Amino acid sequence: MASSDGCTSLKQTSNTFLDNAHEALQDAGKVERRNLMAYYMHIVRDAAVDQFGHFEDLRQHVKQVKQHSLEHLEYYLNQFEQAALQNGNHVHFAEDGDQLNSIVLDICQQHSARRIAKGKSMVTEETGLNDYLKRAGMKVVETDLGEYIIQQAGETPSHIVGPALHKSAAEVRELFFAKHDLGERELADTGEMVSEARRVLREHFLKAEVGIIGANALIAENGYSMLVTNEGNGDLCANLPNVLIVCTTLDRVVPRSEDATAMLRLLVRSATGQPQTCYTSFYSGPRREHDIDGPLETHIVLLDNRRTEILASDYREMLQCIRCGACLNHCPIYAGVGGHAYGWVYPGPMGSVLTPLLTSLEQSKALPNACTSCGRCAEVCPADIPLPDLLRDLRHDETRQKLSSSRWRLGMRLHAWLARHPTLYHAVTGLGIFTLHLLGRRKGSFASLPLAAGWTSQRDFPAPEGKTFMHQYSAMHREEKAREHKAAQALEQNTKAGPAAPRRTAQGRTPARRNGTERIEPSLRVDWPRKPDPRKPSGTRPRREGDDSASGKKPAAHPGGPRGKKPRRRPDHD
Amino acid sequence: MTDSPRSRIFARVSRAQNEADATTIQRELEALGSAPTADLPAADISTAFLTNVLKNQGTVDCAANRSSAVKSVADYLYRHFRSHRLVAGNDPHLAAMPWREAGVLPRFGGVEPGEAVSLSYALLGVAETGAIVTVTGKANPAANNLLSEHHLVMVDSTRLVRDMEGAWERIRRETVKSGWPRGINFIAGPSSTADIEGKLVYGAHGPRQWHVILIGDVPATALEEARALAGQLNQGTS
Repeated sequence: MASSDGCTSLKQTSNTFLDNAHEALQDAGKVERRNLMAYYMHIVRDAAVDQFGHFEDLRQHVKQVKQHSLEHLEYYLNQFEQAALQNGNHVHFAEDGDQLNSIVLDICQQHSARRIAKGKSMVTEETGLNDYLKRAGMKVVETDLGEYIIQQAGETPSHIVGPALHKSAAEVRELFFAKHDLGERELADTGEMVSEARRVLREHFLKAEVGIIGANALIAENGYSMLVTNEGNGDLCANLPNVLIVCTTLDRVVPRSEDATAMLRLLVRSATGQPQTCYTSFYSGPRREHDIDGPLETHIVLLDNRRTEILASDYREMLQCIRCGACLNHCPIYAGVGGHAYGWVYPGPMGSVLTPLLTSLEQSKALPNACTSCGRCAEVCPADIPLPDLLRDLRHDETRQKLSSSRWRLGMRLHAWLARHPTLYHAVTGLGIFTLHLLGRRKGSFASLPLAAGWTSQRDFPAPEGKTFMHQYSAMHREEKAREHKAAQALEQNTKAGPAAPRRTAQGRTPARRNGTERIEPSLRVDWPRKPDPRKPSGTRPRREGDDSASGKKPAAHPGGPRGKKPRRRPDHD
Repeated sequence: MTDSPRSRIFARVSRAQNEADATTIQRELEALGSAPTADLPAADISTAFLTNVLKNQGTVDCAANRSSAVKSVADYLYRHFRSHRLVAGNDPHLAAMPWREAGVLPRFGGVEPGEAVSLSYALLGVAETGAIVTVTGKANPAANNLLSEHHLVMVDSTRLVRDMEGAWERIRRETVKSGWPRGINFIAGPSSTADIEGKLVYGAHGPRQWHVILIGDVPATALEEARALAGQLNQGTS
């Protein structure tokens, strides 16, 4: 695997996530800036989504198109390859990061290139392309302003859309003073800094022999690749140098041009809150006969790097990701600790799913746990990826592969056992709650509790009211049943003939969500105590076979299982 | 071919999915229908287009015919540069403009580094996004969209389409003869970046200013209405 043989540049530090996070929280200025960004990004995204009008319809449409493309990836990949070849491209396939890197280096060396202008590409961050080329003596310059800043600073991206958002303007100013030999100058505001970067990078654009860009989508019907930027840097990379290399992954393929632009509607609104980026470009290949500019030779490198494994697994939905960064912007953990704490290329909720899948769960076992299950990421994800479910499934995998601590697993086993014995479960929790109620009655809360130091070290634990939720719930249930019974009797008296009203309405039916008002149907409650606690996965999930809670071949001991839980909407508790 | 990265990748992809023939796949795809598009800010397509151009931080002007379009360009150049220098692609539409009337004589070709103003003749304008569409080629070298400080674009009002689907439909229909171009560019605003502290700055790598001239039959109140709508909508969202 690319990440383990020392060839990739970005050293993965996901295994020290907790330490990284702790360290990140020490810098008050950066914490404040992250809070501000988290606050601001919601507003712009929501405004753009509201203004669109039918965002949910769009989201569902694009999701179906993406799922269709993945379901028939072989067909569309083939179609794309044929079209791209016909357009005059060289098409390469790379199984892992090293292969991609060496393909790119070969192309550069064939052209005796020394200078490379690079557009923003998370895929090449993943393969560590820059360092690979640099070791071979190439001068690689990132041209997206954010990427350029972190390249100059020797850092890694903290966000997949705004890679340098962790840096303050003052830091960028100092960096430019140190890196650009341009004499006395002010650089008083962001505008001046942008101008300076523009001037420095324009030089490089004009001299570069090779341009490298990523792709936001690959269009099967005509072999075009879509490039989405605001700065126009990617377009300069794609048009000025004599050789163009597009580095991307095979899951970017969509059937038609319209599918790419439909996805664009979701992508831009979710990423920056704009209705459209300044530059949305479609490139098909090398310069045509009468063209006076454009590359003379174009290459497309399609990277797998375990994506085919993901395609074959139960985590396939992750391949629907369009890399907008909305889940990062809406994640309380990401807002708290920032992107670097995640220790690899992709941070936030999407990164916590991708990192274990693209590297290894052993190396990144803390990431699936960096989640409060609040569900905001799934709510805003334009690709409708059930991120909290995928994270929970990864946690479940950790337990099964014995990657979590043995104490934790013992606790889980105890809990699972208890949860499968409802009478005992209610007795134990009832007793516990009552005891806590008695002990904490006077003060109303606990400053410390055995086995719950993680909670009480930060805040007080409120004393329970005396009865468990299930106690109160059953009481309510009984009351309602009695009322129903009375009503049924009254009805029976009124309409003397006719069949008796069904006592127990059909178990499986869920008429609760009619007319927008939610009412919990009494018949649904019967299932409750048997379900495993949704926060503690205990069911086994076979790989593959997506949603099959109803198929009946699951072991009866785990009704539903983590992924089987039918409506994936966020539960409204918590 | 038998044991290449390509064949191994294709084998893995193939194993991960059920087989289906091309007809079934096409049928399935068509059954998905088309994507919803964004609502237009105004019922009239010109007004909607102008509104969205303004919201994209472009500047706009309307010209009833080619003479006034040329005059509009001359005014713009004089206002910003006190000169009449301009670079335009070898587009027959642009070559046929009555440049002499306004005293502007463009240099026809690709923008060279250091040249400040370029002019493109758009293939299409998209009302949904306030974008103009150009295709690469002799008529509009890619550098003309990117290297100048000010990018001027002429769009004919008969070339406005409602949405991006409409744009693809036209491109598909009209490029059948000439073949697909190397590049298709949707441009919606001056180049911008928010990479330093999230603050929006114009003129990142491409043009700092983006000026659209809509030529032809446009309702007399379109521009005024568009300004009002853009103003209102901007207040509503920012």
